[in-house]
Amino acid sequence: VEFLAGLGGGFAAIFTPVNLLVLTAGLVLGMLVAVLPGLTLVMGVVLALPFTYKMGVGPALILLTAMYVAGTYGGAITAILFRIPGEPMDVPLLWDGYAMARRGEAALALGWALVAAFVAGVFSWAFMVALTQPLAAVALKLSTPEYFAVVFFGLASVVTLSGASMVNALISLCLGLLIATVGIDAIYGAERFAFGLPFLQDGIEFLLVMVGAYGVGEVLTRMSTGFASGGAETGGKARFATSFPRWGEMMKMKATFARGTIAGLLVGVVPGAGATVSSFIAYGIENQYGKSRHKLGEGAPEGIVAAKSAATASVGGAFVPLLAMGIPGSGATAIILAAFLLHGIQPGPQVFTKSPELINLIFAAVLMATIGKCILGYFAIRPLCKVLEAPEAIVSAFVVVFCFVGALAQRNSLPDLYVMSAFGLIGFLFERFKFPLAPLVLGTILGPIAEANFMTTMVSFDNDWTVFFTRPISAAILALAVLGLAWPVIKAAIAHFRKAPSSGQTQAP
Amino acid sequence: MERLLRVLPHSVMLVVAGLRYGAATRIDAETGGRIGPAVWPKAIIVFMGLLCAYEIVKRLVVRTEFTATGVVSNMERTVPSPGSPSALEEGRGEGHHRMLFGGIALIAGYVFAVPWLGFFPATAIFLALFPRVGGLRKPVVSLVVSLAGTLLLAFVFLKLAYISLPLGEGPFRALSLGLMRLIGVS
Repeated sequence: VEFLAGLGGGFAAIFTPVNLLVLTAGLVLGMLVAVLPGLTLVMGVVLALPFTYKMGVGPALILLTAMYVAGTYGGAITAILFRIPGEPMDVPLLWDGYAMARRGEAALALGWALVAAFVAGVFSWAFMVALTQPLAAVALKLSTPEYFAVVFFGLASVVTLSGASMVNALISLCLGLLIATVGIDAIYGAERFAFGLPFLQDGIEFLLVMVGAYGVGEVLTRMSTGFASGGAETGGKARFATSFPRWGEMMKMKATFARGTIAGLLVGVVPGAGATVSSFIAYGIENQYGKSRHKLGEGAPEGIVAAKSAATASVGGAFVPLLAMGIPGSGATAIILAAFLLHGIQPGPQVFTKSPELINLIFAAVLMATIGKCILGYFAIRPLCKVLEAPEAIVSAFVVVFCFVGALAQRNSLPDLYVMSAFGLIGFLFERFKFPLAPLVLGTILGPIAEANFMTTMVSFDNDWTVFFTRPISAAILALAVLGLAWPVIKAAIAHFRKAPSSGQTQAP
Repeated sequence: MERLLRVLPHSVMLVVAGLRYGAATRIDAETGGRIGPAVWPKAIIVFMGLLCAYEIVKRLVVRTEFTATGVVSNMERTVPSPGSPSALEEGRGEGHHRMLFGGIALIAGYVFAVPWLGFFPATAIFLALFPRVGGLRKPVVSLVVSLAGTLLLAFVFLKLAYISLPLGEGPFRALSLGLMRLIGVS
């Protein structure tokens, strides 16, 4: 009863004029960011962060949460209607959504995407609400070796789930972890890699890495292939309407809804993996196990439902480790973590006793944003698509300006601007040489948490590193992480050795 | 030569790892027999160096194509993809080096101009020039976007979000203050 009363309090707090206004603004911004191909969801949430500095913690969290939730839908519209995925997570929608549109079923394809977003959104909300508090209670009983193991698992999973060479992903992760070590060490107060420069002694904020790599880096990457001149053509035969599938059709597809939602939730819970990974994994699962797998890629609604339900469900999943343990489950939740920290609140099990109203506010914001996103997605297709007509060069110019503001706003420090710009160049070079960015960014975010728990464990257990493997929970989590890292290597090695004798290639070491 | 270029990124990373290891050996703290503050970064650097060395040896000496990739990469290969992936990608191509280097130069110029010119004058110039470098051949549009955009940004950042931004030096400081007065910020 107390829990339900708290949840009710969260909904009551949302229904104040200011919070409703902020929620609406977040929904519109999230949709716009998702529709524009030059702006990714994470980039959009990062760029919105400076606007929350002077807000209260409640409206700040509502704004970023609404952007995050809405950002998982907008790109579906442009992927289906114009073959333009607003977000990487919408790429699977090109294969079936656009194929349906070419058959003259664009409205129905949008209907399937909207139903998937709503159903998975509500289920993932219920999952988040049900699981977060019990997990926080468990987290309170965990000690530093277990916390280290959980963070290690998150870091390993972002490498395992990456879309690139694992060696490059690991190098990227190491670089991120090293960036996190710059500054004054928290335990001994020793200066590390600051080279006597005062701004490095304060450490490198992960926000600067994110703004630079995802913002400026992405703009440079797009410049290297040439901007689309004059934006996309949104007129012509595209129909700006949504038509819902029949109840019977939806019931026939309940297994697809379930598979997509569960995949999204599970991938979302894993720290570091977000909507894009969920979307691809769910599509892959549907492609292997779905009843209509042979029709996938030719305009099958199953492809839309699998990808969209997974991307949507990953939001609820990603909030669970953030709220229960203070470990962000995705890039966007890392920014929400930053919003918490900027207001002097450390997310984790203690928040449930110190500021439970904030947790309930986020719960309420996620559900209200899910409903609002679907309403906006139904009624605002035409104006959202109009945004695509903006020339990419102008949109990118504003992205760079917002990146500058993002770097300057926090401390009004010019060196922060230089650091952010440097990471913009690094982000571009990473893309250019096929080093994934997600491990770099996640390493910067989770690095301090991993190191603090590692060092505290070593100090508490007299430098006995075997403690990580003798405590059952940490040993099990670490074993799972190592298995996850080893599996793609073993699979690739088997495939390579099978292929090598026939092609006469040099053997792998 | 081509093979050397292929290992260039890993060679640079290896050099970075070497330099960072050298810096890590100079981390100094009284630990009282406990694990010190250099252990964590040193372990990461060694691991990173080994990974780089592995990749260099693999590409230069063993010359194998063996590469383990992440799960999503494997998924991308197994799912069907009819036609080209994206309408926007069709309009793109390789080798827009002039645009890229122009963009980098403009962003670098913007970075160094902000402290002198102040955020808003520098932004107005940047917004006018960047679309041009990005291939937009509509000077009137660029000018309108630059002026209207700067005023709008000034209003949003100064009046609504209360963000403190560099005002510039000398006459540019006066210009920034004039702009602030124009939008009603004291």
